[in-house]
Amino acid sequence: MSKGKGFWARLEDVPREVLYAILLIVFIIPMLNPMGFPVPISDAARKWYATIDALPAGSAIMIDFGYSGGGEPELGPMAAAVYHHIFKKGGLKPITMSTSVDGTLLWDKVIAEVNPEKYGRKYGVDYIHIGFISGTEIAMAAVGSDLRKTTSTDYHGASLDQFPIMQGIKDASSFKLLICYTTGGDQSEGWVRQWYTPYKIPYLCSVIAMMVPTMLPYQKAGQIVSLLAGAQSGEMELLVGMPGRGIKSADVITLTHLLVFAFVVLGNIAYYGRKASERARGG
Amino acid sequence: MSLFVRRQIPIALVFVAAVLVMADYFLKIPGTGPAVVDLQNWGIILSAFALGFGAVNLFYLHTRHISRRTAGQWPFSIWILVMIVVTAVIGVAMGPTGPHYSWWYNATYFALSATVYSSLGFYMTTGCYRALRARNVEAALLLVVGAIALLRNAPAIAVGVPIIIPMEAWLSAIPTTSAQRGIMIGAALGAIALGVRTMIGRETGFLGRLTEAERRGGT
Amino acid sequence: MALDLGSVIQIWLAALFTIWIYSIAFRDNVFFKFAEHTFVGVAAGHGIVYGVDNVLRYGWVPFLKGGVFYVVVFLLGFLLYSRYHKKYFWVSRFPLAIMVGIGLGLSMRATVTAEFIAQIQSTATMKVLGVDAWTGFSNLLFIIIVLTVVYFFIFTFPSMHAGKLGIISRIARYGMMAAFGYSFANTVLSRFNMIFGRLDFLMSSWLPLPGAMVALPIVLILLAYAMIPTQKRPWPKPAQSK
Repeated sequence: MSKGKGFWARLEDVPREVLYAILLIVFIIPMLNPMGFPVPISDAARKWYATIDALPAGSAIMIDFGYSGGGEPELGPMAAAVYHHIFKKGGLKPITMSTSVDGTLLWDKVIAEVNPEKYGRKYGVDYIHIGFISGTEIAMAAVGSDLRKTTSTDYHGASLDQFPIMQGIKDASSFKLLICYTTGGDQSEGWVRQWYTPYKIPYLCSVIAMMVPTMLPYQKAGQIVSLLAGAQSGEMELLVGMPGRGIKSADVITLTHLLVFAFVVLGNIAYYGRKASERARGG
Repeated sequence: MSLFVRRQIPIALVFVAAVLVMADYFLKIPGTGPAVVDLQNWGIILSAFALGFGAVNLFYLHTRHISRRTAGQWPFSIWILVMIVVTAVIGVAMGPTGPHYSWWYNATYFALSATVYSSLGFYMTTGCYRALRARNVEAALLLVVGAIALLRNAPAIAVGVPIIIPMEAWLSAIPTTSAQRGIMIGAALGAIALGVRTMIGRETGFLGRLTEAERRGGT
Repeated sequence: MALDLGSVIQIWLAALFTIWIYSIAFRDNVFFKFAEHTFVGVAAGHGIVYGVDNVLRYGWVPFLKGGVFYVVVFLLGFLLYSRYHKKYFWVSRFPLAIMVGIGLGLSMRATVTAEFIAQIQSTATMKVLGVDAWTGFSNLLFIIIVLTVVYFFIFTFPSMHAGKLGIISRIARYGMMAAFGYSFANTVLSRFNMIFGRLDFLMSSWLPLPGAMVALPIVLILLAYAMIPTQKRPWPKPAQSK
C-alpha cells in the first residue's frame, strides 16, 4: 500500500485555489502591462461592416438591445463600435428597442460611451429608443406587424410623433436592416422567426461567444447575414477606427486562453501519468 | 360543467389563439390582421403582468423562512424582501429610465449580474484542468476541436500561427454547424409536435396544478 | 475627472459586490450570501419595475385614449395571480391559455419555415460534385452529419441503433462531440471576457478612488476570515444548542 500520493496524483489534484490564483495573475499582468498583441479581423466582421456601409442614406435600422447585465462586457463594446460606425457614416436611422428588461439601462451606458453629440447627432433626429417591450417573440411580432399600434412613446414616455426620426416608420417593412445584441436564444432565434422569415429583413446578429455555435445554422442558411460574437468587438473597433474596451481585452484573452490550453494539456498528462504509474505498481 | 370550464375552455382558448395567429400568417384572411395585432398587444401586457411572479414567489418563500426563523437564513430573507421593496419603490416612483433608478441599477443589479455570469469562468478553469480527459475517441475529439478553437480565439496565436484560422473556420463551418443543424431540426420537429399536442389538449402541462375533480377523474 | 459623491458611492458598492460574489469560487461565506440575496431581491424588484412600466405604457395609455377593451386585458392580467389562491387557482388558466396560444401560434408558424424547411433546403443544395475535392468532401461530411444527428434524435428505440445501424449513431456522436468541443472553447472565451470586464472595472474605476487601495486588503482579510468554518472561528460563536 502506498503511504502518500504519488507525483502524478498530486499534480492531478492541484488545489483549485492555486489554479484560481494563477488565472488571476495571468489576467492582471497584461492589464497592468499591455502587450499590444495583434488582432486578426475575421470575414464575418468585414461582412458586418460592409453591410452597414452599403446602406443607402435614410435607411432605418431596427436595433434590439436584448442583452442583460451579464453580457455587457462582451456586447457593450460591440454595440458601441457599431453605433460609432452608424454615426460616422451618417444619414442612417438607428431605432432601438429592447426585448430584455435591462436593455434600456444598458443602452444608456452605451450611448454615454459613444457620445453621439460629438458626431453632431441628436436624440429623436438621428437616433431613438422606443423602450423595453415584454413578451420577446410577441413583442417582435407586434412591432413587425404594426409598430405604431404597439407603442406610441419612446423609452422616456414621450410621444413618438414628435420625433423626426420616426416619420414614415410603421412596421417591419419600414426597416432596411435588423441588428440584435443578445444573451438569450429566445431573442436571437426569435428575430429569425418573426422578422427574417415573414419580412426577409437582412439580419446582423451579435451574441455572447458561447451562443455562436447554436446560431451558425441560421447563418449557413442565409437567414443571418453576419454572426459575430461580442468578444469580437475588438475587430469591429479596428474596422471603425475607434479602439475601446474590445481591443483592451485582446492581450488578456490571448494569455488566458494559452493558460487554459496549458491546463488541459497538463491535466491530461497528469491523468495518464497517474494511470501509467498505477499500472506499473499494480503490474 | 365544472371540469368543462376549468379544463376544456383553457384548452380551447389555446387552440383558438394559436389558430388565429397562424391563419393570419398562412392564409391572410381579411379581418384577422387587426385582430391578431390586438391579440399580440394583449400578449405584451399579459407578459408584463407575469414579470411580477418572481417577486411574489420570493415573498411566499421568504416570509415562511422569517416566520419560522429558519436558522442561518431568516436575516437574509428579510434582506431579500427589503431589496425587492426598495428596488420596486425607486423604479416605480421615480421611473425606470430616471437617474435615481439608473444609479441604483448600476450600483447593485448590473454589478451583481455581470459578476455572477462571469464567476462561472473560475469553475470552467478547474473543469479544464481536472475533468477534460481524452478517455476515449469521442472525448479526444471534443478536446482536439476545443483546443484548436481555443487557440484561434486567442487573437495573437491566430496571427502568429496562421494555419489555425482556416482549421478553425472548417471546424466551425462543417462539423459544428452540421451537428447543430441536426439538433435544430430535431428540436424543431419536437417543438412542432409539442405545439400540436398542446393545441389539441393532449399536452396539459401549462394548466399547472390539478383541481380535485381532475385528480379524481384522471387526466 | 473628479467624480460626484453619488458616482463614488455607486462604484464602491459595485466593487464590493463584485469581490463578494467572486469569493464563492473559494468558499461559501456570509459576504457572498449577502451579495447573492441582494442580487435575487434586486432582480425580482427589477422585474416588478418593468412589469408596471409596460402595463402602464402598453395598456393604460391606450386605455386612456379610448381603448375600452383593455379593461379585459387588465382583468386577465390580475387573474394570473389567482394561481396563488388555494381554491381558485384554476382561474389563472384563462390568461395563461391566451399567452400560451399566442406564443405557440407565433413560434410554430415560423418554426416550420425557419428551422425546418430553410435548414433542409440549405443542406440539400450543398454541392458534392462539380466542385473541388476538398469542398466536395466537406459538403458530403456536412450532409452525413446532419442526417445522422437527425436520425440519432428521432429514432430513440435501441433496435434502431443496434448492429450495423450503430455506425449511424457513432457518426452522429462524433459530429456532436466536435460541436461541443467548439462550444466549450467559445464558452471559455465568453466567460473570460466577462471576468475581464469585471476586473477592468475594479482596476480602472474602483482602485483609483481614494481609500480603495487600502480597503482592498481589508476586504480580502475579512473575506478570508469569513471563510473559516464557524466552529474554528473565535467570533462570532455558533449558537449553542439547548
